[in-house]
Parts: sequence; C-alpha cells; structure tokens
Amino acid sequence: MKKTELLNDLFSFDGRVIIITGGAGAIGSALAELLGNLGASVVITDINEERVKKVAAEIQEKTGNEMLGLVADSTDENQLRELVDKVVARFGKISGLVNNVGWGAATPIWGSDTDKMVKSYKLNTLSAYNLTKFCMPYLEKEENASVVFSNSRVGNTPSPEFIEYSTAKAALLNMARSMAVVGGPKVRFNTVLIGSVDNGESTLDAGFTVEMLQKINDSIVMKRRGFPADIAQGIMFLMSKAASWVTGVDLTLDGGGRYESKMPKSD
Amino acid sequence: MEITNLFNLKNRVAVITGGGNGIGKASALILAQAGASVAVSDLKLPDAESVAEEIRQMGGKAIAVECNVGKDEDLVNLVERANAELGGIHILVNNVGVGGGGRENPFKIGVDKFVWVFELNVFSAWRLSQLCAPYMRDGGYGSIINITSMGSINKSPNMSAYAGSKAALNHMSANLAYDYGQYGIRVNCVGPGATKTAALASVLTPEIEAKMLAGTPIKRLGEVEDISGAVLYFAAPVSEWVSGQVLFVNGGGVQTLD
Ligand SMILES: NC(=O)c1ccc[n+]([C@@H]2O[C@H](COP(=O)([O-])OP(=O)(O)OC[C@H]3O[C@@H](n4cnc5c(N)ncnc54)[C@H](O)[C@@H]3O)[C@@H](O)[C@H]2O)c1
Ligand SMILES: NC(=O)c1ccc[n+]([C@@H]2O[C@H](COP(=O)([O-])OP(=O)(O)OC[C@H]3O[C@@H](n4cnc5c(N)ncnc54)[C@H](O)[C@@H]3O)[C@@H](O)[C@H]2O)c1
Repeated sequence: MKKTELLNDLFSFDGRVIIITGGAGAIGSALAELLGNLGASVVITDINEERVKKVAAEIQEKTGNEMLGLVADSTDENQLRELVDKVVARFGKISGLVNNVGWGAATPIWGSDTDKMVKSYKLNTLSAYNLTKFCMPYLEKEENASVVFSNSRVGNTPSPEFIEYSTAKAALLNMARSMAVVGGPKVRFNTVLIGSVDNGESTLDAGFTVEMLQKINDSIVMKRRGFPADIAQGIMFLMSKAASWVTGVDLTLDGGGRYESKMPKSD
Repeated sequence: MEITNLFNLKNRVAVITGGGNGIGKASALILAQAGASVAVSDLKLPDAESVAEEIRQMGGKAIAVECNVGKDEDLVNLVERANAELGGIHILVNNVGVGGGGRENPFKIGVDKFVWVFELNVFSAWRLSQLCAPYMRDGGYGSIINITSMGSINKSPNMSAYAGSKAALNHMSANLAYDYGQYGIRVNCVGPGATKTAALASVLTPEIEAKMLAGTPIKRLGEVEDISGAVLYFAAPVSEWVSGQVLFVNGGGVQTLD
C-alpha cells in the first residue's frame, strides 16, 4: 500500500452519518468540524436553537460537508424519538452517536435535594440511555458503528463539590461499559473521561473563577487546560477504523492529570 | 491543528524494540506510514532488517539494529545509532515482553526466571526511556509508548511474573508521565488482548480460541493492526494532550489461556 493511503483509509469518515448531542457547545462543535473534515455527514443537536443553526451553518461552510443542526431537548424522550426519525428520513442511516450533552454546577455535598439530583441524572445519564436505545436498530446495520460518551474525571474520582453532576456521570460510565458487553460485535461503546477543558462561559457559569482556572492550568502536567479539539481528536480516534477492536474502554483525556499527593505536605 | 498534521510524523524518529515481528513490526510500519524514520531493533537482526527494508521499499527511512533489551550495552548502542543515523529521537515503543504464556508453577518458578521477566518487561522500558528522554526534550517532541497487557489488570492463573511485571509497567509509565511531562514528553501504554502473533500461536488451540471468543463482545481475536492503530494514536500529535494512560485494545473482553 502506498504511503499515507493506509492512514487516509483508517481515519476516513466518508459516507458515515454521526449524531452529536450538545453539538452547539465547545466540544461538540469542535468534534463536528473534525468529523466533517474527515468526510462525515454530521447532525448536531442542541437545546439552543439559535446556536445550533449558526454552528451547523458555519461548519458546513468550512468543511463543505453536509451538517444538519437540529433542535432537541435531550431530556425529552419524545424529542429524541423525533430526532432519530428526522435523521433517518434525511440520511437513511445512523453510523455513529456521540452522547456529548452534559453539564453540572458546583453544589456543596449536603446542599442538594431530590429535584436537583434527578434533574442532573436526566440530563447527564438518561439522555444518553434513551437516544442510544432509539439509535440501536440503525447502528446495528452499519459497519464499525460506534457510540462514544463524553464523561468527566468527576465521574470516576471523588468529587464532593459536584455531587449531582459527578454521580450522574458515574452512572453514565457504568452504563457505557454495560452496553459494550451486549453491543458487540455490531456496535462499539467507549467513554472519554474529560479533564478540564476551556469551553468559555460554560465553565464560569458552573462556578469557576478566573483565579481557580489559572491554578488549574499550573497544576496540569501538560501545563494547560484542554482545547475542545483535544477531546474531539480522542473521540474521533475511538470512532475510527483504527479502533475497530476497541470497545468498553474509558480513555482519560486530561493533559496527564495533576500533580497531587495524598500525603500532607511536611513543610 | 491542521487536519493533515494530526497524524503527521514527518521529521520524527521512532525507536522500537522487538520490531522484527508481531505487534512491534506492525507498529514500525504504521509509524513509517505516518512519515517517521524508524530504528527497528530486535534480538533477531535479519527480522529487523526485513522490516526496515519494507519501510525503505515504501519510500521511508529506516535502520535495523540488533538489540537484546536484556543487555544495557545493546540499549545504549540502539539509542546512539538511532540518534546518529536518523537525527534525534522523538518516539519510543517499548514492545518487547516475555512470559505471556504464563503456566508457571507458583511453587517451583525460579528466582532467575522471575527476575528475567521483570528485567525484560519493566527494567528495559525504564532504562530506554531514560536514555531517550534527553533527545526528546531537546528535540521538542516526545512520546513513549509501552506495550502492556490485559494481564496487568486481570487475575490470571499461573502468571504472577508476567502479570506482575506488566502491572509494574503500567504504574511506572504513569509515574514517568508525571516526571517527563514538564519536558513535553508523554508516556502512555497500549494493552492488547489476545492478538494473533507468533507468541500467541505458540499457546493457542481451537478450544482456547473458542473460549476466548465467548468472552469477547467483538467476535474475533486481535490483529496486529488493531494494536498498532493505538500506538499511532499515542505517537502522533493527535493525542498531544494525552499522557499517563493505558488504552486496552481487547474487543471489549477478557481472553485467558487457562
Ligand atoms: N469542558 C470541560 O471542562 C468538561 C470537563 C469534563 C466533561 N465535560 C463534558 O463534555 C461534554 C461537552 O461539554 P462542553 O464543554 O462542550 O460543554 P458546553 O457547555 O460548551 O456545551 C454543552 C451544550 O449542551 C447544550 N445543552 C444543554 N442542555 C441541553 C439539553 N437539555 N438538550 C440539548 N442540549 C443541551 C448546551 O446548549 C450547549 O450547547 C459534557 O457532557 C460535559 O459534561 C466537559
Ligand atoms: N500477542 C498477544 O496476544 C499479546 C497480548 C498482550 C500483550 N502482548 C505484548 O505485546 C508485545 C509484543 O508481543 P508479540 O505478540 O508481538 O510478540 P512476538 O513474539 O510476535 O514478537 C516479539 C519480537 O520481540 C523479539 N524479542 C524477543 N525477545 C527479545 C529481546 N530480549 N530483545 C529484543 N527483542 C526481543 C522477538 O525476536 C520478536 O521479533 C509484548 O510486550 C507482549 O507482552 C501481546
């Protein structure tokens, strides 16, 4: 095989139709652009109508590949059903799904309540369960079909300051692993555990201050928070042909993590 | 990052141990496909030479170096030659691993055997990392990829030497990721499940294979290209914010010999 032809083939997304939820946000839109550039037809869905239309149009312009921006509230089961119908009506198939929608605010560990906990579970966990379930009949028909979950480092480490978000993400992590066990050989399921990524205002809304963010930058082994593209690139790899024997894994994308010691400092 | 640069290893030099066959060979070939110059090393020089020749045939640059990873002078020589003949070192794939067949008798396994497994699987990877890191630091790009195994996290019968050594390799990698991170050097592991190589063929029977597939969601054993794809991911700029990780490539399951 000629040099680089092999690589083009491994990372080609030509002819693949991929849905990304929360697609108007930082990571979702970076992923949509990357997959579009690699040949995919991408459907981004988001609750924010204005942004999802705008982002889809911008990316379609940049990549030259069809990009559909659809409004859907991921916490509404009926809207997810309609979403799947719309995608199938337009493209006739679904080859990949990125359950990327998710958000969580800082809450003191004893400051939450039933409503807040359930609300977080609906957004971060149930949204992915429902949409994956509705997509399965279509995914099963595609070659190298793949589902990736945008999870967080709070989902697999103690995170008392994000009790609603972290417990919902922890549930999402185990859900992905369970799906992987029964999903093969037809569909692969993998998780990315995301570290601190610069997504602009969204982080500030979650309760981080500029000082906190500077401290995070300094503490990360790679000396910077992630770019949305860093995460998009990891998700792309997991969806590619190069990863066709990869399922049920959690890949941490966190700049090498933070220097931290469990021992109290002596000085 | 420009899309064409995600997997671009042009002007990068990769060093691979046990590159003459199996997973090492597949890794050498795919890194060369991405544009890297490759120092293919192996205990068996003719095997390394034929892989280097294959790379040259496809228009790439490669040298073959005889290297027993159990000998310090061989490791030093490998690094010196790679740097001198290919111009720097940016990527290191510690691929050699012995003892994967397991089947040791816990009452009888000798000290020599146990130590030998750790020397080849852990010590050589640590030492080569130490030898290559200064070139990576000075060259402004560094990625170390250690080939571990599912044995590193599974409890497998009669395999304490191999499994223990691979677990040590995982954790050593995570620590080196901390230590080298500030110099722009990333350290990650790829953990293959049962992959069709000579090493596996020597212990595989149809019965074992059937049992392995029963526990594997993606109903096939691994091909060397499944593993080298993950090696490429960690070697290339596409993963520039990823370090200290173990990526298991195992079809979603556990394949055990016994
Ligand atoms: N940015 C980080 O540091 C970070 C860290 C760990 C995990 N993550 C995870 O990565 C994913 C993407 O994060 P991001 O940084 O791109 O976030 P973002 O806030 O930039 O984007 C999220 C998008 O989801 C949309 N959304 C919110 N509620 C919705 C709903 N009910 N239905 C449909 N869309 C809805 C928002 O409008 C927004 O466009 C999330 O799952 C998040 O939990 C992010
Ligand atoms: N094949 C599998 O199923 C599998 C599963 C898990 C992990 N692994 C790991 O993958 C790595 C590669 O295994 P493989 O299956 O490709 O093996 P392989 O036997 O196919 O190839 C190993 C190569 O290493 C060379 N080699 C052996 N001892 C050496 C030494 N002391 N110094 C230098 N070179 C030496 C051999 O000559 C050969 O070319 C090992 O670390 C192994 O533990 C393999």
